[in-house]
Amino acid sequence: MSGPRGRRIGIAALLVLLAIAPLLALAPAAPGAVRIAGVSVLWWYVGFAAPLAATVLATLLLAHDAE
Amino acid sequence: MNALAASAAWLQPALVVAVAFRVAAGEADAPWLALTALVAPLVALLASGRPSSRNPVVAVVAAVAVTLLLGADFLVAADVATLLGASRWHGVALAALPALAVAAWAPARRVSPWALAVAAAVLLLVPAAVALAAGAMPWSAWHRSGVRGALTFSDGSAWVTGGERFARATTLRFAEGQRVVALAPGVYRVVERDAATPTVREWRLASGEALTLRPGDELTVEAGARVRFEAGRRVPGAPASGITWADAPARGPRMLPAALGALVTLLGGALALVPQARRGRVAVAGPAVLLAVMMAALAWGVYAAAVPDLVLAGAWPAPLLRLPALALGPAAGLPLAALSGLALVVMLATAALALRERLARASSPAPELWVAVIVAATALAAWSFDPWRVLTLALGLAAAAWAPARLAPSTTGALAGPIVGGVTFVTLAALPILASGTPAWLEALARYPALVAMPLGWLAARLMPPGGPGVAEA
Repeated sequence: MSGPRGRRIGIAALLVLLAIAPLLALAPAAPGAVRIAGVSVLWWYVGFAAPLAATVLATLLLAHDAE
Repeated sequence: MNALAASAAWLQPALVVAVAFRVAAGEADAPWLALTALVAPLVALLASGRPSSRNPVVAVVAAVAVTLLLGADFLVAADVATLLGASRWHGVALAALPALAVAAWAPARRVSPWALAVAAAVLLLVPAAVALAAGAMPWSAWHRSGVRGALTFSDGSAWVTGGERFARATTLRFAEGQRVVALAPGVYRVVERDAATPTVREWRLASGEALTLRPGDELTVEAGARVRFEAGRRVPGAPASGITWADAPARGPRMLPAALGALVTLLGGALALVPQARRGRVAVAGPAVLLAVMMAALAWGVYAAAVPDLVLAGAWPAPLLRLPALALGPAAGLPLAALSGLALVVMLATAALALRERLARASSPAPELWVAVIVAATALAAWSFDPWRVLTLALGLAAAAWAPARLAPSTTGALAGPIVGGVTFVTLAALPILASGTPAWLEALARYPALVAMPLGWLAARLMPPGGPGVAEA
C-alpha cells in the first residue's frame, strides 16, 4: 500500500475508533454500561482496546513510510 | 520534525491533569475526552503534508491560542501553589520561568524530546507503585470504585482531620445534612432550597465557627477558604454512588452535541498544534510517549476515584498532589509526588518550546513576541478562570481559525478559512454574553464553538479558488 493512501486509510480508521466511544456511551439502552470482568464495555474500550489499536496503527504507518 | 518533538506541543500539563481529574470526578464526558486526547495528535502526526500558510490572520490566531494554552497551564500551577498554602502568584511565576528559559537556552531543542520521554516514564511511576502497593491493577480499582455505596468522607480524610483549602471559588451542593467548620475567616454564602423561593444568606465566619447545612443547600466558598467536614457524611458534589461514578446519569443521546463538540475541538486543536511528523524508525517514539502519558493520566484518575474528596476542591492538580501520599504513605508518597510534579514542569518546558516553534512559523520568531505571550498568559492566570474553559477556548480557536490554514489548498483559502472559522468561533463563544438565557440547544455550541466554526472554516478554505503561487510553510 502506498504511503499517502495508507495514511489516509489510517486516519479514517483512527476517526472510526474515536467515533465509537461516544456511540457506546450515548446510544439508547447504554451498551457501554454492560460489564465485562467488572469493568464497563465503554471503559475497556477507551482505556484499553482503542488506545492500543490507535497507537499500533499510527506507529506502523509512521515507521512504514521510512522503509 | 520527528514525531516525539511534534507531540510535545500537545502534551500540555493542563490537558494531562484535566484528564486525570475528570476521570476521578466521574465526569460524564471523561471517557471520550481521554480517548480523544490520545487519538487527536495521532491523526495530526499522520495528516497530509500541506504546510499551513503564514498570513496576518493566522499570525494573530496563533498568538492568541498559544497565550490561552499557556494560560491554562499557569492556572493549574496557581492551583498547585494554593493547595500547598502559597500564593497563586508563586505558582504562576514558577511556571512562567521554564517557559521563558527554554527560549533562551540553545540546547533545549536537542534535549527536549528525550526530556519529554523521561517525564512520560516518571508519570507512570505513581500508578505503577499504587498498583503494586494496593495489589490492584487499574481495572480492579475501577471495579472497586464502581461498586461502592455512598461516597463519604473517611475518618482519616484530611478534610475531616485538619481541614483543607479550596484552591478556587467553589459552590458545593449538599445531598445530606452536614456541619461545616470554617478554619479561616471569610464570607460563606448559603442558598437554602427548602422553600419555593430559594433563600440566600451570607455568613461572615471567624476561624472555628460552624455552619449547619441541610440537604439541598448550596454553599459557596471563596478561593483559599479552609474548612473541615464531618466523617461519614456524603462528599458534597461527588457522584451519589459508585454506580453513578461509573455510569454518569447525564450520559445519553442528549449529550451528543457536546460530545461531538469536544471531539471536533480536540481534533482540530491537534491539527493546528501538532505538525506532520517526519517518518522513520525514530517516529515510533511519538505515539509511544502519547500512549504512556494518557494511560498514566487515566490510571491516575481511576486510582484517585477511590478517594472522592480529592476532587472536592475543584483543583485539577489535587489528585496528582495528594494521591501518592494517601496510597503509599508519606515516606514513599511525598517524594513520588514531588517527582511527578517535576515531570509536569519538564512537560511544560517541552510544550512551551514546541509552541514557540509553532508560533515562530505561523507568526514571527521574534523573542519579543514570545515574551509578550508569556506576560499575557501570566496576566490571564492572575484571575481565577476555569482552566477547562480556557483550555477548550484555546484548542477551539486553534481548530476553527488555525487548522483550516493547514488544510487549505491555496493561499487565498489559507486566508479565507481562518477568517470564516475565527469570526464564527468568536460569535458563538460570545453568545452567553451577548444573549443571556441561551436556549439549551445552543449551549453545546457556546461551550464548543469549534463544532460549527471548524467545518465552516475548512469549507471556506477548500472552496476558495487558487489565488497565489501556493502556500508558504508556517
